[in-house]
Amino acid sequence: MVFAATNSLTLPDYVVIVLYLIGTIAMGIVIGARMKTGKEFFLGGRRLPWWAIGMSLVATDIGGTDIIGVGGAAFSHGMAIANFEWIGCVPAMIVGAFVFIPFLYRSGVYTVPEFLERRYNVGVRAVMAACWLVFMACNLGIMLLASAKMMSTVFGWNEVGCMLVTAILVGGYTFVGGLAAVVYTDMIQCGVMIAGCLLILVLGLVEIGGVGELRKRLAEADVREAAIVNEGVSVSNAEADSERTSLILPADTESPFPWPGIYFGLALILSPAYWLGNQAIVQRSLGARSEFEARASYIWGALLKNIIPLIVAVPGLIAVVLLPDLSNGDQAIPSLIGVLLPAGLRGLFVAAFLAALMSSMDSYLNSAATIVSNDFYKRFIDRDVSDERLLKVGRVTTIVLVAWAVLFAFLLATMSEKSGIYAVFQTLMAFFQGPAFAVLLLGVLWRRATGQAAFIALLCGIGTSVSLYALNQPDVYGALGWEPLFRIHEPFLYFSIWAFLVTAVVLVVVSLLGTPEPSGKLRYVFGGHTGDTCSPTDTESSAGPAGRCL
Amino acid sequence: MLMTPLHHLGELLRAILKTIPLTAIRVLFVASLVALLIWVVRLPKSATEPDGGAKRWDENLKIGAAGALLIQIVIYALL
Repeated sequence: MVFAATNSLTLPDYVVIVLYLIGTIAMGIVIGARMKTGKEFFLGGRRLPWWAIGMSLVATDIGGTDIIGVGGAAFSHGMAIANFEWIGCVPAMIVGAFVFIPFLYRSGVYTVPEFLERRYNVGVRAVMAACWLVFMACNLGIMLLASAKMMSTVFGWNEVGCMLVTAILVGGYTFVGGLAAVVYTDMIQCGVMIAGCLLILVLGLVEIGGVGELRKRLAEADVREAAIVNEGVSVSNAEADSERTSLILPADTESPFPWPGIYFGLALILSPAYWLGNQAIVQRSLGARSEFEARASYIWGALLKNIIPLIVAVPGLIAVVLLPDLSNGDQAIPSLIGVLLPAGLRGLFVAAFLAALMSSMDSYLNSAATIVSNDFYKRFIDRDVSDERLLKVGRVTTIVLVAWAVLFAFLLATMSEKSGIYAVFQTLMAFFQGPAFAVLLLGVLWRRATGQAAFIALLCGIGTSVSLYALNQPDVYGALGWEPLFRIHEPFLYFSIWAFLVTAVVLVVVSLLGTPEPSGKLRYVFGGHTGDTCSPTDTESSAGPAGRCL
Repeated sequence: MLMTPLHHLGELLRAILKTIPLTAIRVLFVASLVALLIWVVRLPKSATEPDGGAKRWDENLKIGAAGALLIQIVIYALL
């Protein structure tokens, strides 16, 4: 509650917030009024324009906690956090635009696990669908709780009230409008988010006196800190050897972002795994009006991504200059709001925060419902389900997921953050993204990769990352009498590298020991298609394991 | 404290990676982006333009992709 007093909102702030919420909900309801089939609910009827999808991609990727957390990380660790938005996004999005997304679009699938069944087998599909579902369902609760805690701390709002109102609003328009509502509201949310964060950046730079002055005062702060570390002996700028404004940090840095983790773990594995294999991301491009628009959406998203670190990370550096005595990075952005934004403009930032939160939640909600409906209900319960019935299943699943998210958030709230459970769920994606990407990549590049090998490799890879995580817990390595395996805090980038490598090696070895896949599977390998392509209307339903066209 | 073969492998990798100067790492980051840019520029029209060809400059995705990568190259060369 420390910052609540300095961030009190006035009537104009609440007007801005209410206008934003009304606009978002109204748009979702208007879009949902025309919803008739599962295809419309899960893929927006394949009528979504590239410009809306591109903005939705960016909005989905930036969550409510990121708006404050990335600035906080920049305050604590410097600009290296921007790697996650720059080299950790742009190259993978461009490769995705020209290589993977058109390939997935042509296959006519609703989900990435569905594609994996066509290429491999139902086991791989089921494991991947289960991983994504568990991750998304848990993440919904985490987002809800983390954002409610933040709103409670920063604005003094009631935590339970924040969780319930957010869940009802997001659940409401996602239930009614499906993917189309998600994408179009994300588009508004992306604009609001950029405007709100830009406000902090511009006012902060004006307060400091411009970019040149910011750099000068950051260098002075580095010299001061270096002098403290060197016990009062004064040091020059060069000697201070700042990591604060550098993107590339040495392998032995104390920050969680050493260059090997950023290059090998983030740029080469986690980033492509996220942009090419994350159902919540890929699904919206599968709903594009055409294959060309699916490509264009990723390129537009990549262009927008270039500006995101400037508006979410640089404010953290501004806080280093304006609020040098802060002890906790997570206080940086809330404190800056109190210092920089006059009453009336704080509402815009709150709207930006809500926009970031809602745009991520709605995407995970819709994608989790898509996985339940298509990868479980349609695949295992009723293969002949009608499109209208699938729409109902998707909507019921959406309600169940909202209820689950609220329950899970309450459950998490009863646990201590030091219990480790909270941290486990936050690193959940790192457990299976490396293995998932290895299976997807080798599947589309290597004709000899088999379904049996992919299934075994996937389990081995997930087992590797979970084992590394467990072995790196102080209680575990202390009980074993071991040294810690990793030297940096939060080595999730390294988990993904090792899990990727183990998965790839097991997949290659087991594939070579087994019998090759039948030729029908090879149409899902690059260069292995038969030449017959699908129009969007040809791919109305999941074609099942046999697959119709590519 | 016990050191397993995994620890020794980690120590070896850490020791090797620490010997690489940061300037060389910067070259690696920038060169990777430049390589991607060259690949984008050389893509066939069928991959970068709508069916029937681009009628406006912004319908050529090569321009947008190259622009995004050029910004990245400048950023990683400077920061």
